Amino acid sequence: MGDFRSILPLCEGEQHVIAATQHLVKALGASKNLDDDLRKILSQLDSHLSAMTILSPESRGTGFREVEQQFKWAEEKIRGWESNQSLMWDSDPLEASEYLKAVVEIQTLVEGLPRLSMSGTRKQKELLNRAESILQTAMSRLEEELVHILVKHKQYFELGNMSFQYCGKDVVYDESFVSVEDMRIEEASQRNNSGNESVDCVPDLVHPQVIPHLKSIATVMFASSYDQEFCQAFISVRRDALEEYLVILKVEKFSIEDVLKMDWNCLNFEIQKWIRALNVIIRYLASEKRLCGQVFEDLGFLNPFCFVEISKVSLLHLLNFGDAIAMGTPEPQKLFRLLDMYEVVADNLLYIDTLFSEEAGTCVRIEFHQLLRRLADSARATLFTFGNAIAANASTSPVPRGEIHPLTRYVMNYIKTLPIYCSILNVLLKDQNAAASNPVAELENGLEVSSMAYCPMACHLRSITCILEAKLDSKSKLYKDCALQHIFLMNNYHYMVEKAKSPELKLFFGDEWIREHIVKFKQHATSYERATWSSALSLLRVGSAGSSSTSKTILKDKCRGFIIAFEEVYKSQTGWSIPDPKLREDLQISTSQKVVLAYRNFTGRNSADIGEKYIKYTTDDLEKYILDLFEGSPKSLQRSRSRRN
Amino acid sequence: MDGNHEQELEDLELFQKYVADRFSDLLSSSSDEAADSLLSVSWLRKLVDVFLCCEAEFKAVLIMGRDPSQVSKPPLDRLVPEFLDRVVKALDVCNAVSHSVESVRHYQKLAEIAVSAFEQRSIGDGQVRRAKKALNSLMLTLEEKEGSNHKSAERAWSFGRRGATNKDRAAPGQFRSLSWNMAKGWSAAKQIQAMSANLVAPRGAKSSGLASPVYIMSTVMLFVMWALVAAIPCQERNGLSTHFPVPRQLGWAQSMVALQEKIAEEWKKKKEKTRLAGLLEETQRLERLGQSLIEFADSFHFPAEAERLEEMASQVAELADTCKKMEEGLVPLQQQIREV
Repeated sequence: MGDFRSILPLCEGEQHVIAATQHLVKALGASKNLDDDLRKILSQLDSHLSAMTILSPESRGTGFREVEQQFKWAEEKIRGWESNQSLMWDSDPLEASEYLKAVVEIQTLVEGLPRLSMSGTRKQKELLNRAESILQTAMSRLEEELVHILVKHKQYFELGNMSFQYCGKDVVYDESFVSVEDMRIEEASQRNNSGNESVDCVPDLVHPQVIPHLKSIATVMFASSYDQEFCQAFISVRRDALEEYLVILKVEKFSIEDVLKMDWNCLNFEIQKWIRALNVIIRYLASEKRLCGQVFEDLGFLNPFCFVEISKVSLLHLLNFGDAIAMGTPEPQKLFRLLDMYEVVADNLLYIDTLFSEEAGTCVRIEFHQLLRRLADSARATLFTFGNAIAANASTSPVPRGEIHPLTRYVMNYIKTLPIYCSILNVLLKDQNAAASNPVAELENGLEVSSMAYCPMACHLRSITCILEAKLDSKSKLYKDCALQHIFLMNNYHYMVEKAKSPELKLFFGDEWIREHIVKFKQHATSYERATWSSALSLLRVGSAGSSSTSKTILKDKCRGFIIAFEEVYKSQTGWSIPDPKLREDLQISTSQKVVLAYRNFTGRNSADIGEKYIKYTTDDLEKYILDLFEGSPKSLQRSRSRRN
Repeated sequence: MDGNHEQELEDLELFQKYVADRFSDLLSSSSDEAADSLLSVSWLRKLVDVFLCCEAEFKAVLIMGRDPSQVSKPPLDRLVPEFLDRVVKALDVCNAVSHSVESVRHYQKLAEIAVSAFEQRSIGDGQVRRAKKALNSLMLTLEEKEGSNHKSAERAWSFGRRGATNKDRAAPGQFRSLSWNMAKGWSAAKQIQAMSANLVAPRGAKSSGLASPVYIMSTVMLFVMWALVAAIPCQERNGLSTHFPVPRQLGWAQSMVALQEKIAEEWKKKKEKTRLAGLLEETQRLERLGQSLIEFADSFHFPAEAERLEEMASQVAELADTCKKMEEGLVPLQQQIREV
């Protein structure tokens, strides 16, 4: 069919203008400093202008009739589809392109006729009216088609390995510490690796085949200045698709109040869902942006705006949830989830900045950065709350049997999990690092091992243990028996050292710290021995060679005194406990060496004087009984044996 | 200690005066015709601004030489958690409101389509239909907002139609995603009511220390939230009570009370009619103009008579003006709310 443009006459003045513009365009096009967008615009302008000049002035009368005829053809085409409700592009793509051609023609007519209608006849005005009317019909139809196409050819967004790992257990902060054991904390901090899918693989959100259709609809609608309708329809449909997707991800909408009042188990679960959702949505949005780019390719400036509109509302929901979490009271058990959240936002920050790099997306970017800051603050506050909680722990009953205090267990296990977040914590704690760090003294074997021990996180760990130690010291005062105090402290320090030597923590505590603390618990062991045995052993000390002057009674008293002391110790200290078998053994051996030796010397030298009756036990017996010490089950030696003659 | 007490009183007075001043500004600006009228977008922006300033002053009062151990003693140990609770509710309301501002922007865009259709040099059938379609969607969404939740069912179109076509119907599901963005069962009215519970002016001895400023701040917050909810349609506004306890005798509250009365009046007026699309002035105008333009479109017949054209042109201009104001105001309003 002929082109309307060839029929509409062009008045002379306009021809001059067009020629001048074309010159201008050519001149600009020759310049070397143009970027791609500008070049595109210029080439479009150029083609448009050349189209306009291919006009042969025809006489008005016949021209008009031809115009009318062509109009009728186009009108029929468009009206023909009105009764047909099926999807145009699905049923017959060729027909669809014919339809579009018809629309384009009407469009040109609408553009061209007003020039006539200035002085136009009534008939021309009517024609214009009809043309506009049919154009509106067509636009309406195209809008519907657009929606249908988008909805029908929507593709389900799926990334490769999106497994959802739910970690159930957590280190529960329980005031009574009754239930805390050496838990498998590895479970509690499984990091979700599904988000590491690179953004290069960008799945399609809409079947690629229909994208040219979308583009053609877009071009036509924009040309008829129905761009607003197009954008609106497009945005609405895509927004709905995004919402739907979030529903599939089972992300629920909570008000801030709900979040603050939720109990920890639920909250834990929701946070993990959130983290996964955030990772996935970012990738989804990359696809969405590509779709927008493809559809709005030649239509330039609206692209970022549409994309931002589509994604803003849902993203704000996710961000609100994050904000609500960051607002909550800092509790130690929240730390790991907070760190996870921080990590996911920090990881994705770059993508967000890229996706929303234009001006229209500034508000989203700002919100993300703010969320990151708030999460950081919250995480830091939680870390410090942890320290405070340790210091404030105020139970007044001493741990029975001098065993390891649950607080020690809890703290060390909690700390053991932190190195997993080492990089994040170092960033968070960077500015907080006071002068508490030791100066970098001699390096171990010239290696840089100690540099890790001085990173901010390591310093923080050591400060935590420092608080713990102070607490333990004060707790030990709860024991009345001085020896038990030492046993208690020895146990706990030993436990700390053992945990610090574990592979996760070793590098952070550093050899120096470990050595210092080994010395400490050994000191306590020595103090214990002194406290327990010094008086008893002093009884066994044999005087100088003038033994005859020492009367037998005194010796017998001494022997008896010793035996009584030993039995006392046995009675009370078998009830004490040293959980670590090696430590127990060491202490027993050391005790045995001193005590048994002294006893053997004493009895050996004085057996004649004292008489068998008083030497209740042989050295072997003593050795055996010492092995009973610190087993944790109290025993008693008196009356358990029949007296020897 | 006495000196401290005097200092406190002084602070308190300053704070009261500050609040009173800001609110009387608001009141005067609302009655002044040239400036912003009550519950327009720019007035709301001022309102939020006032709130932010009061909050800053409040923080200053809190920080200046206060004894932190006071917080754990009564009456503060009850008041402070209540206050924090109110703050959380207020934040939720803000979130809901800022979502709703999104939908108001949607109205604006629809109105803009209508405007651009009518602003063509020569109005033809096509343009009129286009405008009508946009306006119909606008009316529909305005109505839908206050209606029931989650209704995206097909509606029987009782608006006038040209010819036998049902082309002018916008897809009903289009606006699904803009509605009801908060959690299920969340209700703006209930939140406001909950906020106003236990809001009692401290008397006598209790009014020393922080109790008074806390009370003032709470009242201010409550008022601001209430006004926002009244103006902008959010989720579940039914039952928004028009009165809440603001003691009239307190000097600083005078302007607030006056404003409250005005708003309550508007609310009652609206309740008479069936549609409550929020008291936001611009939306009201959109509604009004939209209706009359639809009527015009219904009776449109090509070619149009000159007088009708003129009449309509003025309405269209008004509509365009409103749209422009909305355009300028809404996005900053949103940002302000998020600042809160």
